[in-house]
Formats: sequence, C-alpha cells, structure tokens
Amino acid sequence: MMQHEFRLDGDTVEVTVARNGNDWHLSGNMASILPDGRIRLEMDNGRIYFAHSAKVGDTWWIHLAGHTFCIDCIEPGASEDANDGGLSAPMPGKVLQVLVKKGQSVEAGQALMILEAMKMEHRIVSSIEGIVSDIHFAEGDQVQQGVALLDIS
Amino acid sequence: MVSTVLVANRGEIACRILRACSESGLSSIAIYADNDADSLFVELATKSVILEGESIAETYLNQKQIIKIAKQYGADAIHPGFGFLSERADFAQAVIDSGLKWIGPSPRAIKMMGDKMTARTTMKAAGVPVIPGEEIEQEDEHEALLAIKNASHRVGFPLLLKASSGGGGKGMRVVNSPDELEDAVNSARREAIAAFGDGRVYVERLLDGAKHVEIQILADQQGRIIHLGERECSVQRRHQKVFEEAPCPTMTEELRERMGRAAILAAQAVDYEGAGTVEFLLASNGEFFFLEMNTRIQVEHPVTEMITGVDIVREQLRIASGEPMSCKDLIIRGHSIEVRLYAEDASNNFLPAIGPLTVFSPPVGPGVRLDTGVRQGDQVTPNYDPMLAKLVVWAPSRKEALQRMRRALDDFIVLGTTTNIRFLRELCDQEDVVNGSTYTTLIDRVWPDGWQPTIPDSLIEGALMVAGISESSGMHRNSNAVIQSEDGPVSPFTTISRRFP
Repeated sequence: MMQHEFRLDGDTVEVTVARNGNDWHLSGNMASILPDGRIRLEMDNGRIYFAHSAKVGDTWWIHLAGHTFCIDCIEPGASEDANDGGLSAPMPGKVLQVLVKKGQSVEAGQALMILEAMKMEHRIVSSIEGIVSDIHFAEGDQVQQGVALLDIS
Repeated sequence: MVSTVLVANRGEIACRILRACSESGLSSIAIYADNDADSLFVELATKSVILEGESIAETYLNQKQIIKIAKQYGADAIHPGFGFLSERADFAQAVIDSGLKWIGPSPRAIKMMGDKMTARTTMKAAGVPVIPGEEIEQEDEHEALLAIKNASHRVGFPLLLKASSGGGGKGMRVVNSPDELEDAVNSARREAIAAFGDGRVYVERLLDGAKHVEIQILADQQGRIIHLGERECSVQRRHQKVFEEAPCPTMTEELRERMGRAAILAAQAVDYEGAGTVEFLLASNGEFFFLEMNTRIQVEHPVTEMITGVDIVREQLRIASGEPMSCKDLIIRGHSIEVRLYAEDASNNFLPAIGPLTVFSPPVGPGVRLDTGVRQGDQVTPNYDPMLAKLVVWAPSRKEALQRMRRALDDFIVLGTTTNIRFLRELCDQEDVVNGSTYTTLIDRVWPDGWQPTIPDSLIEGALMVAGISESSGMHRNSNAVIQSEDGPVSPFTTISRRFP
C-alpha cells in the first residue's frame, strides 16, 4: 500500500494505491504499467483507458481520455499556501499602469494593475476586498512570472 | 528565376515554407535568433545563419541584417511568411532595391492594403462594399478622442475600435456603450503604439451575428488572377481565429461567385501578385462587407489547400520565379477544418502559458495534417507567439470532418505546458459549431463567464490513480532530471523512465 497526498484544483486528496506484481489497485479499479511507459487503466465500470503521465517539478501531468490533468504532489509537512491577498504576475512582462495607491481600499474584482505580456494587455484583478498594503512595482518595471505585484490585506 | 530562398521568419510557418522549398528543388536559408538555435525550422534549411542581437527588433525585424545575410549567402529571393516583416512595404522595397526577388505583392499594394484607412477608400472606389464606419485622422491624443466621440454617435453602438496599422487583434476593442468609450480608446491606442508604433484608430459598426468569411486569391505575373474559394474563420477568441474551415457551411454557389468576384476586384485595384486573402464580414441577411486584405500567406491557408488540392506556398514560389501558376480549373472537394493549438489557459481568460513540452504526441491517421514548429522536448518561452501547432483535418463531408477533428483532439497529447486542446475539443460539440451557424461572438456568447472544462468524476478518479501509480513506481526520476537543466540542451528522452519496478 502506498499513500500519497495530491492537490487537484485546490482540493487536497489522499490516494492509496496497492500493488500486486505488475497490477495496481485502487478500490475497484485496476491498472498496469505498459512497456512504453503508459498506464493501462481498467475502471470498475469496465471502461479501459490508456493514460500518459509526466512529472514537471512537483506536478504530475496526466493525459486520460482526451483530458489533461495537473496533479500537484504535496511534500509531507509542507504548509498550505492559502489565498492571503498577495497578487502575483501570471506571466513575465512589463507593468504598463498601476491603477491603485498604497492605503487605498479595493473591492473584489477591481482592476489593480495592467501588465503587458506577449504583446497583449492583462488586467490584474483583486480577488478579495481589502486595503492595498504594498505595491512592489512601478510603471515600466519588468516582472518575472510568479513574483508578488501588490499585497492586499 | 529563383534558386535560393531566404525565409525571413521562424517557427511553424518557416517550417512550412522551408519544406516547400525542399519539395520544389530550391535551396533555402533559415535565419534564427540565438534563442531559436535548437528550434525545428533551423534544421530544415539547406543553410542556417544566426542573427546577431537579442530583441525581436534586432533579429527577425532587422531589415538590414536580413538583407545582408541574403546577399552574403547567395539568396535570390526572400519569403517573409506571416507576421514579422511580411506586411512591411519598406522591407519589400528594400529587398527589391538590393536586387532580390520579394515573394509577395508590390510594396505599393502592401502599403495601400496595410493602412486600413487607405484600404477602405481604395475598396470603396473599386466598388467593393465596406462596413459603415469612420476614419479618425487626428493624431493628437485629445483631438483624436473628441473625433472618436463624435464619430461614435454617427456610427452607433456597439462599435469596434481598430488600430489603423493593426492586425492579430492587437489595438482592437469592442465598445458596447458610450461610457466605456474613453477607457477603450486609451487602452487601444496604447496597445497600438506599443505593437505598431502608430496610435491611429478607426471606428466601425460592430455587425452582430456576422460571419468572418475570406477569399483566397492567387495572381501571377502573366496577369491571371483566380480565387480558391472561401474560408470561414468566425470562431475567434480575443479577435484571434481559433477554428477555421472551408468551405463556409452556409455558402451558396451564387454567393461564392459574388464574393470571389469582389475579391478579384480588390486584387486588381492594387495590381496584386502572389497569394493574398480578402477578408469579409458576411451579415446574416447575405450582405457582405470588405474587412481587410492580407497581403501575405495566411495562418489558415491549409484548409483551402485540403479542399482544392493546391499547394499555395509552392504556387507562391512558382509565381515569384515568373512562371504561370500551375492550377487549372478548381474543384472544391470535401470539407476541411483547422484548429490552432495555443499554449494558453482557456479556463483563465486564454492567458498565455509557458513550460516544457515534456510530451508532445500529435494524432495520426487518414485526413489528419499537422503544421507545427515544435517537437517533444522543446520549451515554450514568452519570447514569441504561443501558437504551438495547427491541426488540420479533411473528410468528404463537414459532419465527418468534425468527427475526425474530435478524434484527433482526443488523441493529441501535450504534457508539461497548458494548452487549449480541451477547449477546442469541447468547441467541436457546441450546437452552433455542429450546425455550422458560427459567428464572430460565439465564444463570448456560449461561455459568457469564461470556459471551464467538463470532466466526468470517473476520469478524475482515474487520473488520481495514475498519479498515485506514477509517483509510487518512481516513473518521474528521469523526467525530473531533465527539468533541472532548464537552460541547457533538452534531452529528447524527457518523458518517462524506461526502468520499471
């Protein structure tokens, strides 16, 4: 029995698979690893699928029946990063406009910043209601993907 | 005569042109920026030359450097592809002035069609119907805003603001009511200045429920101009086409004849040479209006090739060589659909995505064509357009083509980078797409709050099980090792461990 903790679309899921020779089991579903690395799944409803998987960083990318899933592995003891109002850059790009000031109160859905990335404009929108506690970049600054742009508390 | 073609482009379209050169028995030269050194197109040329410089302006847009390389390595013609310098009249002129053949229309034709205002006036004069709208001549920010406000009352809402020298949806804004106008003008102008160095815009009526239908034309140096029928490209996100087909499902023989004649008229008005596309909006009452003419090969040209059997890029090469085009009387056969695969998150406002193409496994089978510039192991970077591939299918009927596209999309596996594959797949099931009653605002109307995938619970369970098995069996050991060397050369064996428990 091997137990793993995954995150899928924000939900934490515990998955326990059991191995018996070349066969793997999870409740009524059965699976085996094929010589080319694909996984043959036989679901308890009788459907058979051939899945592809690849790990990038801590994320398993899985293709199954025309769908692609991103499933994050949760390291044992790692802390949950909840939505604390920090807003990060979705893409590397340039800050075109800062629409708010430090100390200003904002509503959920309010546009805070305009970024230019891949020659397109993107609006950074507040996901929560609160006060702008810090602004980390000014107009014209280059930003890397994932960096915090502003803080809302 | 043309014997060596320099391809002044990169990625998918460079691959398409370089392969056509090879099939035509021509030598070819690829030019590439440093960050493209490992890209597929670089391998496909007879000779590949690195461009000096870092930015796009210093490399793929560097006219002097490109012409210098062409002369130095013995090219006698330049094919610009699409995007980059393809619609720059000054570049076409510089190519001609340096004694090389420009594979495309004359600089004059590019200039007249490239400036949307001039194009409108030229088309009106040639008797081609244009959309009700007004050109804004004022360049000053405040004067332009005032002029746009005045024009908006005459044109009416909803209206469309378009950058005069724009394309690809950049600098374009839909304005539904007067109170949205000022913000939209400012942001459209800003985007237009950043992208094209020209903030001029024009205002036109937004035709509700209209189809985007375009006519492919070919004109040779012997004076023959033909049209190759239409393509419908109504389904767009952010004003960029994502689903294209030929023929247009609602086309009649009589309407094709009239639109084809208007397109030929447009080409004649500018003494056109080579391949070009005249875009129209087709209103629900059967009226059609000139949108613009693209004086270059287009992204969606394959669907026309599939139903006519004409290799448009080879015809471009033939025409540039001074030979007459090879196509005889055309017969439209069957139906073809193309979808554009983008590295983007369709569930998050189509935000561009980056990452490794750890697995890139396209579908195969009868009637399936893939035009791409990437292969497994490549990285998707923010440096260039996030289009990964064009998946094209052909079948005897539209219904079968759609069935084939669904199957092909289900079989298309890309892991490591978010793509719009699932979005395209669900698009194929939309009632309006199935019926062929597509229109330009379809995506916004079908998914007013954005698209989210519909996933059966049993598949989620299956995916979690696959993750559990993959993690338990240590299948990730090899793939992780590759990811760590992000800047280094990427091994083609990135995917899955070949060792098993």
